[in-house]
Amino acid sequence: MTGTRSAARIALLIVTWAMRLVAVILVIATFNFVLVRAAPGDPAMVMAGQSGGADPKILDDLRKEYGLDKPYLVQLATHLGRVLTLDLGYSYRQRRPVLDLILERLPATLLLTLTAFCLALLIGTTLGALAGLAAGSIVDTLFTVLSLLLYATPVFWLGLMLVLVFSVTLGWLPPFGYETINAKMTAIERVFDIAKHMIMPVMSLAAIYLAIYARLMRSSIIEVSHQDFIKTARAKGLAPARIVVGHMLRNALVPVVTVAGMQAGALVGGAVVIETVFAWPGLGRLTFEAVLQRDYPVLLGIFLILSIIVIALNLVTDLIYRLIDPRMTTEAA
Amino acid sequence: MDALRAFLRHPSGMAGLVLLTIVLIVAITAPVVFPVSPWEMNGTPFAPPGEDGMWLGGDTLGRDVAAGVAHGARVSLLIGIASAFAAMMIGVVIGAISGYFGGKVDLVLMRVTEMFQTVPAFILAILLVATFSPSLLTIILTIGAVSWPPLARLTRAEFLRLRGREFVEAALCQGEGTARIVLGHILPNAISPILVVVSLTVATAILLESALSFMGLGDPNLMSWGFMIGAGRTVIRQAWWMSVFPGLAILITVLAINLFGEGLSDVLNPRVSRRRA
Amino acid sequence: MNRREFTAAMLAAGAAIPLGITRAAGQTKGGTLNTIIQPEPPVLVTAFNQQQPTLTLGGKIYESLLKYGADLKPMPGMAQSWEISPDGLTYTFKLFPGITFHDGKPMTSEDVVFSCMKVLTETHPRARQNFARVASAEAPDPLTVVFKLKQPFAPFLGCFDCTSAPIVPKHIYEGTEFRKNPMNDKAIGTGPFKLKEWVRGSHVHLVRHDGYYRKDEPYLDEIIYRIIPDGASRALALENGTVQLVQWSDVEFFDVQRFKSQKNLEFTTKGYEYFAPHQWLEMNNRVAPMNDKRFRQAIMHLIDRDAMNKRIYFGNAKVATGPISSKTRFYDGKVKRYEFSIEKATALLDEMGLKPGANGKRTELKYLVPPYGEVYQRAGEFFRQSFSKAGIDLVLVGTDMAGWAEKVGNWDYEMTQNLLYQLGDPALGVARTYISSNIKKGILFSNTQGYSNPEVDRLFEEAALALDEAKRQELYSKVQQILVEDVPVAWTLELEYPIIYDKAFKNIVTSGIGSHETFGSVYKS
Repeated sequence: MTGTRSAARIALLIVTWAMRLVAVILVIATFNFVLVRAAPGDPAMVMAGQSGGADPKILDDLRKEYGLDKPYLVQLATHLGRVLTLDLGYSYRQRRPVLDLILERLPATLLLTLTAFCLALLIGTTLGALAGLAAGSIVDTLFTVLSLLLYATPVFWLGLMLVLVFSVTLGWLPPFGYETINAKMTAIERVFDIAKHMIMPVMSLAAIYLAIYARLMRSSIIEVSHQDFIKTARAKGLAPARIVVGHMLRNALVPVVTVAGMQAGALVGGAVVIETVFAWPGLGRLTFEAVLQRDYPVLLGIFLILSIIVIALNLVTDLIYRLIDPRMTTEAA
Repeated sequence: MDALRAFLRHPSGMAGLVLLTIVLIVAITAPVVFPVSPWEMNGTPFAPPGEDGMWLGGDTLGRDVAAGVAHGARVSLLIGIASAFAAMMIGVVIGAISGYFGGKVDLVLMRVTEMFQTVPAFILAILLVATFSPSLLTIILTIGAVSWPPLARLTRAEFLRLRGREFVEAALCQGEGTARIVLGHILPNAISPILVVVSLTVATAILLESALSFMGLGDPNLMSWGFMIGAGRTVIRQAWWMSVFPGLAILITVLAINLFGEGLSDVLNPRVSRRRA
Repeated sequence: MNRREFTAAMLAAGAAIPLGITRAAGQTKGGTLNTIIQPEPPVLVTAFNQQQPTLTLGGKIYESLLKYGADLKPMPGMAQSWEISPDGLTYTFKLFPGITFHDGKPMTSEDVVFSCMKVLTETHPRARQNFARVASAEAPDPLTVVFKLKQPFAPFLGCFDCTSAPIVPKHIYEGTEFRKNPMNDKAIGTGPFKLKEWVRGSHVHLVRHDGYYRKDEPYLDEIIYRIIPDGASRALALENGTVQLVQWSDVEFFDVQRFKSQKNLEFTTKGYEYFAPHQWLEMNNRVAPMNDKRFRQAIMHLIDRDAMNKRIYFGNAKVATGPISSKTRFYDGKVKRYEFSIEKATALLDEMGLKPGANGKRTELKYLVPPYGEVYQRAGEFFRQSFSKAGIDLVLVGTDMAGWAEKVGNWDYEMTQNLLYQLGDPALGVARTYISSNIKKGILFSNTQGYSNPEVDRLFEEAALALDEAKRQELYSKVQQILVEDVPVAWTLELEYPIIYDKAFKNIVTSGIGSHETFGSVYKS
């Protein structure tokens, strides 16, 4: 495995990923286009969604802007062109471009989602590895029971239960929001304040996926520990710790990382619900409000952006995959 | 028969079956044990559990939470099973066509499946339900529409595996039609893993439906567990029982289905059972 | 004393009118008031949007000629005095000197005429109706405005509060497309507070307008309207002092109770007299069986209004007896009463031939749930249970704000719930719901249920034109009796929203407009 070859492989990976990204954006944009026209009602009304019944003047402007009188293919082409130049439309309800609304809320969601994703992966795999190594013991059984319970728990209910215990009953943590309103704090204080508000949302979101990754890691470790090359390593006399870290983990992680990538979509979906429970000012919250207002331009824009986030997470897991086991890549290729 | 015997000896699978039976009994006997509609506002608002004859407490309008949980079982199971069935219809058909015909058809269908697995399913569900107005039918179809990819993948894998087998070759030689081969030879052999995944899909369908109802996108005329938790969210300080009990009901039901499904999987496919995503 | 003496005394005192207003000593100037605005308004210019959040916030930025006391009598706003000609056709207002807009330019009678006759008639449906009665409006000198009416209209003086006739700058809006004017973001008005900054999703920051025409006002340095979408968070914010004032539906009804006993907070239901929010179950009179009076009367018998008040509004309401609120002028409680009785309801249904089928069901109707909060969903569930007792199946249909407005405005509904302001005088806020001439497709808060009775039309028109109070009362009493017999809509409750604020702040409620007031006289002790 020479340096240039692996570099080239990574470059190829990124290029294929970028192509996939563009393809997905086009497909989703087309789907959005079709959905608005399939929805009951006049597409202009659907997109305007103004209260008090839309102003006929605004509806007319909308029709001209979206070329609703032109043939479908022309409309689609214009729409796709817009999307590729990052013009995601205009929200009449909030009177701002959709992209602005989304970019404003994106950081909060990324903070929540990425933290949850990393924690779930790190803690999950660690716990799973430990359980796998201690297979058959009481600790292992306890672990299995706990992960089964977590896996069956609705993520929003878990969030509410955490609020009930840690906020309402114990009063340790703030129940809602991103940070304490109205308080004048220094930058460091603010970071800690946000971190305090983040604990429960992140815990609720991470817990479910933590359980999945842990269980998978456990069974993966057990399976790997029986494989031949481990026995060879043992025979070679390498110290036990080295064996675990060097060989087992790397091989056991492969299916976990793959699954993590596949579950990215569910994680992002879970973030939407969690943001609603905790009044976290991110895209999930925006989705909830947009649903109440039937603000289609916003909903469609969110759908597109969240899909892009999922694909980005997939890229991350793909890179990790390549990182932990370059040998597998050769075989697969 | 061996499978049945093996299942009876499977501890967690049996545990799942027992729990599932309890849930089913609650669902079936709900109209008998709680003859009054869960929507009736007979009790005291915010009654804590045990007060006013309501074992699990009353909600903000004085409705019986226990009645809601019992009747909610019917709703959740109905939607769960119907949605899983819908997902099965879509997924199995796509997977079968893909696995049987292969080639370009397979390529296209797999790209479509991949696309569906890429986009966040819950967001897509929200979008679809919001567009076509929440009702029992739209919810079932929507959940079916976002849950079919794993079934398609599995069906395709099974079909690919079985297609090369001797009995299929033999049937082809005898000039049997596609439909006959698929329905008569391949499908019966593929059915067990498919059924396992379908049963697990019921669990994810129940979770999906409860999340949709929680967000206010459920059918407003159906008292479902997710709806109850959603109603209890803003009053969690004053009435914790409104959120706790319906959530426990979801937990127990989903757990039961998962245990049962995993047990079934262990028994029917001991080879692949451990590697489950 | 008459109006002249009254205002002269006020001018001399240089302070506010003695109507429950505490006079502030010089040193209590300064302070910040944190409050809530819920939901976030789409725009702050009250001329273009008359939903509650815009009006509450905009009332600090935009003023009008008058205000109204808790007794609904007019008080000086930007007009220090006014005169009505004996024939009731000419209204002359004298403005205070030295009024300036937030951009420093002076406000004159030209701005008043321009706002009322050019801007509001285009953008404000209620104002359009009011000023349609004006034959001509003139500005003979910078401090005088003269309105000449086509016919006498006694309630005309009730058309000039900050929610009905906000004054905007002519030098900014003349010759432009009003709604698309880029200066809308700056919200330039004449109120004691001007817009400093609006961070969407977070807060609206208002600061003192130093050129304000009233001596010493405003006392506060700034007002911050915080946007907190989550109900529980809002209640928490009030509880721990993050905000010091809540109004309207900022805090959920079931939460209101615990604030009554919080030591540092003052609780009042005053300040809503002008609006007197009136709620009813609306029935589309065009759709069978609601086109039959007996069905509508049966519905009235099926709604247990006391139970509704207790369970859904937690006692924060009063049972309504008819179309006019007990807080509005010319209310008459001597009307037919519909007590809660399932028997009476079923008797009426049987009489009109709507018999129960095999499964006990008489008919099925769709109920559109207004998407303004959980309270409306609960009310819908309440109605569904109540009507099922008489075999009427109610199917709840959810929708969004635009969808609801569109469906109701275009008569594409069967049943829904509606809430309207009374505006102090039946001619201003009540008649619009029941007269045939206000059956206008596409317009919300008009006669959307499609009720038409020539006798009612005649009575409302006569009462609007009559100048004698006793005569008006006689006409309105008659119309209330007819309407309560006909039941065009099923009136349910007079909602009593609270205003809850930190005791440190004085003069929060000084008129019948309450939280929509300018807050110029509010100070922190």
